[in-house]
Amino acid sequence: MTVLELVKPAQEEPVQAPRDRSDLYLSVGLTTVVLALLAWNITGFPTASDDEGTYLAQAWAVQHGKGLAHYTYWYDHPPLAWIQLAAGSWLPGLIAPSLIAVAAGRIAMLPLQAAGLLLVYVVGRRMGLPRWAAAVGLLTYGLSPLFLTMGRQIYLDSFAVVWLLAALALALSPRKHLWHFAAAGAAAAIAVLSKETILLILPAVLVAMWQNTARSTTRPWAFGAFASGLVLVGCFYPLYALLRGELFPGEGHVSLIGAVQFQLGSRSGSGSIFEAGSGANSLVRSWLYYDSVILVAGIAATIAGLAIRRLRPVSVAGAILILVALRPGGYLPAMYVVQVLPFFALAVAGVLAWTIGRLDRWFKWGAIALAVVLAATVVAPRWYVGDRRALTANDNAAYVQAAEYLRAQPPSTVVVDDVLWLDCVNAGYPEQRVIWFYKLDLDTEVAARLPGGWRDVDYIVSTPAVRQDPGTLPTVTALLENSTVIASFGPADGLIEIRQVLKEPQ
Amino acid sequence: MTLAAVVMIFVSLVLAAFAAVTLWWTMHAWRTPETLAGTRFAPPDGEQHLTFSLLLPARHETAVLEHTVERLLRSTHEGFEIIIIVGHDDPETAEVANRVALGAPGRILVVTDHNEQKNKPRALNTALPYVRGDVVGVFDAEDQVHPLLLEHVDHAFRATDADVVQGGVQLINFHSSWYSLQNCLEYFFWFRSRLHLHARKGFIPLGGNTVFVRSDVLRRANGWDGTCLAEDCDLGVRLSSRGAKVVVAYDATIVTREETPGSVTALLKQRTRWHQGFLQVLRKGEWRRLPTWRARMLARYTLTSPFLQAFSGVVIPLGVAVAIWAQLPVFVALVTFLPVLPMAATLMFQIVGLHDFGRQYDLRIRWHHYAKLVLGSFPYALVLSTAALRAVWREYTGKRNWELTTHVGAHLSATRPATEVAA
Repeated sequence: MTVLELVKPAQEEPVQAPRDRSDLYLSVGLTTVVLALLAWNITGFPTASDDEGTYLAQAWAVQHGKGLAHYTYWYDHPPLAWIQLAAGSWLPGLIAPSLIAVAAGRIAMLPLQAAGLLLVYVVGRRMGLPRWAAAVGLLTYGLSPLFLTMGRQIYLDSFAVVWLLAALALALSPRKHLWHFAAAGAAAAIAVLSKETILLILPAVLVAMWQNTARSTTRPWAFGAFASGLVLVGCFYPLYALLRGELFPGEGHVSLIGAVQFQLGSRSGSGSIFEAGSGANSLVRSWLYYDSVILVAGIAATIAGLAIRRLRPVSVAGAILILVALRPGGYLPAMYVVQVLPFFALAVAGVLAWTIGRLDRWFKWGAIALAVVLAATVVAPRWYVGDRRALTANDNAAYVQAAEYLRAQPPSTVVVDDVLWLDCVNAGYPEQRVIWFYKLDLDTEVAARLPGGWRDVDYIVSTPAVRQDPGTLPTVTALLENSTVIASFGPADGLIEIRQVLKEPQ
Repeated sequence: MTLAAVVMIFVSLVLAAFAAVTLWWTMHAWRTPETLAGTRFAPPDGEQHLTFSLLLPARHETAVLEHTVERLLRSTHEGFEIIIIVGHDDPETAEVANRVALGAPGRILVVTDHNEQKNKPRALNTALPYVRGDVVGVFDAEDQVHPLLLEHVDHAFRATDADVVQGGVQLINFHSSWYSLQNCLEYFFWFRSRLHLHARKGFIPLGGNTVFVRSDVLRRANGWDGTCLAEDCDLGVRLSSRGAKVVVAYDATIVTREETPGSVTALLKQRTRWHQGFLQVLRKGEWRRLPTWRARMLARYTLTSPFLQAFSGVVIPLGVAVAIWAQLPVFVALVTFLPVLPMAATLMFQIVGLHDFGRQYDLRIRWHHYAKLVLGSFPYALVLSTAALRAVWREYTGKRNWELTTHVGAHLSATRPATEVAA
């Protein structure tokens, strides 16, 4: 019954028990440690990648009111991740103008990664893990060399996975509050609009909600709230396309549905991960090179976790990701593993907690001793090597030197890769005259800016990315052939050359 | 940015905020499992200490009156009397009333209302001097009252020391027509959820029936306002502002079952009367005597919100149409879609509500009912806004007579087995 009390009866102040803040101190403390490791040498390692430059340039376009991309936005990915990036990526460059653009962008990612680490802890606790196990989950995630490598880079997947963790945490709301479930739906939608592939692991959130509302009178309402949040926030993306007249494919314009068809159908696969020499195989090898521990232990824990009720949400997420990676002939992106790591870490911590929780006294201490010994002898040496590399390597020196060189030049028409694009624009080059190398041959609008073809270009900056697929881009090939090196930086395998274009045939 | 765009953004934000608050409040009972559990009657202790006088105004209600009284007589509570109030110009109903009174001598009293202008509050005031019970309960002639209700109410009065107990009322004949489905759900959300929020926040417009008031409290308040078209709402406001303690409880099993108006015109008239009644209560200003600022703001908002709600149901879809066709800048167009979010969420929750409604009342909800719900929501919003406009117009031009809703007994068939209803 609901009682209307117009005059509140005098109540004695209830004596408040001192609030237990151990969770707060523990999670914030550990997150600070991991964040320090993540930030240390963030500009030097790993090598700036093309994708990072792309997303950063798109964030720049959002910041400067030039739409969702500085070239025609063709719905390749939903834009929410770089819209979020745009909110923060202007700040580091303001404080330290000498940084190259990608390095500044990486620093802007740190608050996001901090949120991700805290959320791993929160999700662990809300799944019913004891404090120490949630802490193990956070550390397994944060200290993995894979995280210390890819967590530093500017990837859409990082945004998506943090929002999905938020959705999981909300779906596991201890109060089972209706609006928490609606917020879980909204967070899931933001995750999908940050990187569409995260859609695959939405079932994990549904499993979490299903479990959390078991034997509750409000289950149908909880799912109604979740669906509302998900659909209503999610629909803004197709709505945007619709309002621009770009929802359906048609002559002479890009379209959302056309882009989805391309991503699902036309994109060439990267082969099976079991087939030596395939793209997928070498990608998995590179992940294993950085950190085999979290991948192997994570797969084992995910499979075991499927049988344990409270681990099922994260295990479902992990299992779906494993199955998708195993499908033959599909496309496996390089940053795929970013989405996998937190779920593997939570599964590992969960299975560990479950095992130790079920054992009797002597076996329990034996298991703890075994875990400690394994951690010290198997995990620690491998992670030490990987983490040390992350903290000390200086792989971006050539990019820094090239950016400095370009800054000192008077503005001209220059063809660069995605990493250096924003550095040139920041240095005062007219944005229309700094050109991504592959847009020369693939974007008719860019080609129209150069009526004289390659002869209208003054310089081309040749980086490994530009030389990656020789011969596939005719204008780029012509530029490389008809230019001479005026400056070069870096070692042979990562050589960056500033090449002046020779307008007259030799 | 043009002025039109600024106006569109402003209107969209206001509408979105209003729709979001309404949604937030409508979903009050389902916030957490604990809130939901807190809306139920506490189980009775089996003791009976209070006596009830149940007022039953009946005007041209020959079709349903007898059945209603029969149900009331089946009550498990020992201490109650039924006072049927009939008009002096309505011999048919009087005849039925006298006949049923003979069947239960001592339990039933028939009182004749000699007021020239007949309406429900005047009928109730006519009966007030005859009341002998500790508690006055009000029912309508077409109500199906559960036999266990009085025991629960007795216990609720004693357990909470309340002055007023409001029980649940539910329209049940959702299958009758497209609008009755909407109407049933409206009641479901109001009594199941929203009213509890009002009780908690300190301002409550009472319902028209299944409302119980201690007789002395009611007499001190001089009964009902004979000139008000929403005498129930008015009574709630007056008792709230005098510091009465109000308890709201809802149990699907012992809720009072009613039927929807028999036609869209009847619905329109009924809704016009309510809206106009709300306006009258607002103008009377009794709510200004509520003890807290928050309760006064809630009163102001509640009494005006039927109008806002009715209009936003029409304006939001229109705004969207404008946004799509008027070639607004994409950003402005996206903002104009904001009010659609709470509105669509409301619809989503109505779908869940229809499912829950079917489960609570053991009714079979089929896919076409869900389709009717979705398709009918805009026409229903049109009906409500028309009623709101009529109410404002009638109040403005001084037409304050009582447009009565007639009842045919459609909800009685709803108690047949679900398969029969669906067929």
